Amino acid sequence: MKVHIDTTRCTGHGLCEAVAEDIFEVGDDGMAHLLADPDADRRGEVDQAVAECPTRALSASG
Amino acid sequence: MTQHVTRSASGSPDRPYDELDISSRAFWSTSADVREKTFSLLRERGTVTWHPPFQEQLLEDPDDYGFWAVTRYDDLVEVTKRHEDFLSGPGILMENLPAELVEAAQSIIGMDPPRHTKMRRLVAAAFTPKQMRRIDDRIQANARMVVDDLEKALERDGGQTDFVAECAELLPMHNINDIMGVPDGQRQQAAHEMKVGTSWNDPEFVGETKEEVLGRLFQAMTFSHGLATSLAGERRENPTEDLISSLAHAEVDGETLTDEEIGAFFVLLTIAGNDTTRQSTTHGLRALTDYPAQRAWLLDDLEERMPDAVEEIVRWATPIMTFRRTAGRDCQLAGQQITEGDKVVMFYSSANRDESRIERPHELDLSRHPNPHISFGGGGIHHCLGNQLARFQLKALFTELLTRLPDLQAGEPELTPGNFLNVVKRMSCWRQS
Repeated sequence: MKVHIDTTRCTGHGLCEAVAEDIFEVGDDGMAHLLADPDADRRGEVDQAVAECPTRALSASG
Repeated sequence: MTQHVTRSASGSPDRPYDELDISSRAFWSTSADVREKTFSLLRERGTVTWHPPFQEQLLEDPDDYGFWAVTRYDDLVEVTKRHEDFLSGPGILMENLPAELVEAAQSIIGMDPPRHTKMRRLVAAAFTPKQMRRIDDRIQANARMVVDDLEKALERDGGQTDFVAECAELLPMHNINDIMGVPDGQRQQAAHEMKVGTSWNDPEFVGETKEEVLGRLFQAMTFSHGLATSLAGERRENPTEDLISSLAHAEVDGETLTDEEIGAFFVLLTIAGNDTTRQSTTHGLRALTDYPAQRAWLLDDLEERMPDAVEEIVRWATPIMTFRRTAGRDCQLAGQQITEGDKVVMFYSSANRDESRIERPHELDLSRHPNPHISFGGGGIHHCLGNQLARFQLKALFTELLTRLPDLQAGEPELTPGNFLNVVKRMSCWRQS
């Protein structure tokens, strides 16, 4: 699964990190970063992170 | 730059008002339970409703004909997410305050993209879930210290003391200032000045006449900006790990922040950090007193049940009752035609009691799960920066309180009149046994 973080939108709320902290992490730059490409069985958590993102910065495909 | 316009034409004299009153001082001097009776009727309208401006404001504005009231859960979420239609830059308070005052206090909460996006990133890393876990030991140590001091205060005052002053306002003050890097002594002063800065409807803090009120508000802002400027100056010389150091060295579009920008950040973080969790804590103890069966349920398995209990306490308290937006262009909302310039006020206490999204909303249910409350916001770009900090603090404090003082009771809360923060000014507490 491919996750895309739109760096023009992300403001580092960290809600994605709260959902899946081994996939997302907010860095010192105040933006979320992908720690690893998630396996297919993490789809549910990734979808939740995409849905909860307040700035609509996340998308997932594949 | 973001426009900070607090006085702009909103509506027109021809638009008819809803007959229900949510604009009077009398309405905002009652309790949340009384106001809920009106909000429940407004929610039944099935749309947003148009109301006259808040009565007897500090600044009367002849072009201000009123505001749209957003009382339903789904509408609030929609307004929150449509940040291009509903702007924060023109001001986020229901009332009109002087532009200079607003400029000095709002920072990112009163900004729109693209400036908001860049500025919010400067502080985001200090409030993430992982960062909260890193400082959780400190948060818990602060909670122990605060409850130690509450026990001493109870003893000193003959078994009954003010829960707000001796407990509820202390934990958030220590934690937000640990994060920012404001030394002991100065943090108490800053917290007090910002309590003044948010109490423009309370004569006890700001006096009676408009001159007195404005003078006192400006004095509070000047104090906080002076403190922020001096701390930022020190950190430029000797950087540390705290948030003021980050802000003192931060660059946006190749430029460092001005003292005014750092000052406004400081004011915002001081208010948002102190005056929200303080209210959740106080309303929380009162709720545990009003509903002993709920307390007993929580006490049965404190550790396991605390996370859900904290969410319900935050819903029950709804520390921030209103935020305003301003229509940036003509658009539709809940079937109504909204005109550019119209003020749109979201009523969080109403949305948190909306039967269509919260089951049995008038019941305190500490086991509620999931709990889709909107006390931290409806999910848009201004979603509460400190939501994780608030959760960690409430968990630490109620765990400490209920472990050591499981029978602590709360008296009748003394409420501060106003439409912004759900403030309990004083509330006595004592042990039952």
